[in-house]
Amino acid sequence: MRLTIRELTLPVWRTLPWRGLAASAALGLLLAGALRWGGGDANGWPALTLLRAAVLAHALGLTFLLDDPARHTTATVPTRRALRTGLRIALVTPLTALWWTAVVLLVPSDVRPPVGDVTLEAAAACVLALLAGAVALRWTNEPRPGPSVAAAYLLTAVVTPHLLPAGWKLFVWPQDSNWHAAHERWAWLLAGAVVTLVACLPEPVRRMRIGRRSRTLSPSGV
Amino acid sequence: MTPTVSASGLSLRYGGTHALDDVSLRLTPGVTGLIGPNGAGKTTLLRVLATALPADGGAFTVLGQDPATSAGRQEVRRALGYLPQTPGFHPDFTPFEFVDYVAILKELTDRGARHREVRRLLEQVDLGEVRGKRIKKLSGGMRQRVALAAALIGDPGFLVLDEPTVGLDPEQRMRFRELIAQAGEGRTVLLSTHQTEDVAMLCHRVLVMAGGRIRFDGTPAELTARAAGRVWSSTERDPGAKAGWRTGTGSFRNVGLPPVGADLLEPTLEDGYLLTLDEAEVSA
Repeated sequence: MRLTIRELTLPVWRTLPWRGLAASAALGLLLAGALRWGGGDANGWPALTLLRAAVLAHALGLTFLLDDPARHTTATVPTRRALRTGLRIALVTPLTALWWTAVVLLVPSDVRPPVGDVTLEAAAACVLALLAGAVALRWTNEPRPGPSVAAAYLLTAVVTPHLLPAGWKLFVWPQDSNWHAAHERWAWLLAGAVVTLVACLPEPVRRMRIGRRSRTLSPSGV
Repeated sequence: MTPTVSASGLSLRYGGTHALDDVSLRLTPGVTGLIGPNGAGKTTLLRVLATALPADGGAFTVLGQDPATSAGRQEVRRALGYLPQTPGFHPDFTPFEFVDYVAILKELTDRGARHREVRRLLEQVDLGEVRGKRIKKLSGGMRQRVALAAALIGDPGFLVLDEPTVGLDPEQRMRFRELIAQAGEGRTVLLSTHQTEDVAMLCHRVLVMAGGRIRFDGTPAELTARAAGRVWSSTERDPGAKAGWRTGTGSFRNVGLPPVGADLLEPTLEDGYLLTLDEAEVSA
């Protein structure tokens, strides 16, 4: 297993959708950098808006991370898909962390919103993007669901804030009395997304049924 | 002879459609052809046997391993080569890099031995000279051969090929036939195809599938023999024929129940196939 991971790291690195990831990361940096040149007000909410827009841009890039044009060609190899998917995520995670650090540092410190809370939002948004890709892989036969997933993610990100009841608001401003409560919800959302993502990493759903279903069908345990 | 693959009662439904309906079969070494119309269930059967898709019911073993358990499925996958109907690639990879990637996924972790095996397979499928060229710059036939090399990595005992010659020009198809024949030496190959010539020239056995069921299981000669005395020539298309077409010589070739005194022709495997499908339709 360890040998397989070591040997897999370089080819998996090369299968990552670098152009999309780089474009989304660059857009995020530009959005965050706009504040440094454009200025921000004392309340800091334009900074927060731009930070959230930067996170959304990068999250849209991450919806393509699990696209695998060779999905069908490599459908029946003994190395489990969870390992390959996990490796993809593991390779991108430190780069995303570096990117986020750069984004936060681009925002002038006097208008920078609470970094810990905003980082929590960013982490949840990124994990939700990965989760959307993983769900698409698990429930469809599509090797490259990225474009559809990105569109659905963008639509959800735009529509959801308007649909959530007042007591469930996620996107609040630092001066809002619900700021801490909202970030508790972000924390729960992140935890739920991580757990669901891990549950979605194994083989696509119909493939998983072979063991359970067949065991009940054959007296020999086939 | 111990079968490489033994399946009984495989069934699978897509909504209200039986993609597989109580399919049982035993496959032994050599090339077995699987033919049938579109929607017959060929690809579904191949995907089930390749462990890419679970059946709703039934059971099967591959090389004595039971894919119903996680450990058994891993063992089956170690002994399996699969070329899907529409193989996909990472376009920026070269054939060498892609086959090497698949080799790693097949747990060949000794880099030196793996690279030697990848080079050998690429030579075998005539891609030695383009092994450093990006896959996106290769022709369709070359890409199919990359996929075949990937399927052959690890010397699988059971090779599943889903319409590997589709979209290839005649020369490429002939070359592919040679490769499949080579691959079939000493291993079990299940070849799905629409090309009855491929079956006639390559296979020691043929399965005809329609409506999710196996309608014929025998040798190509036996399938051809089904049409003996049921193919005839006439100057007009015989209205009683199941199928009939004007040939290059201007006469009509008819398949079905010939009239008395008809000018009988030597049947082909395709004639036997057409009559088998016709009987399947009648019985359905």
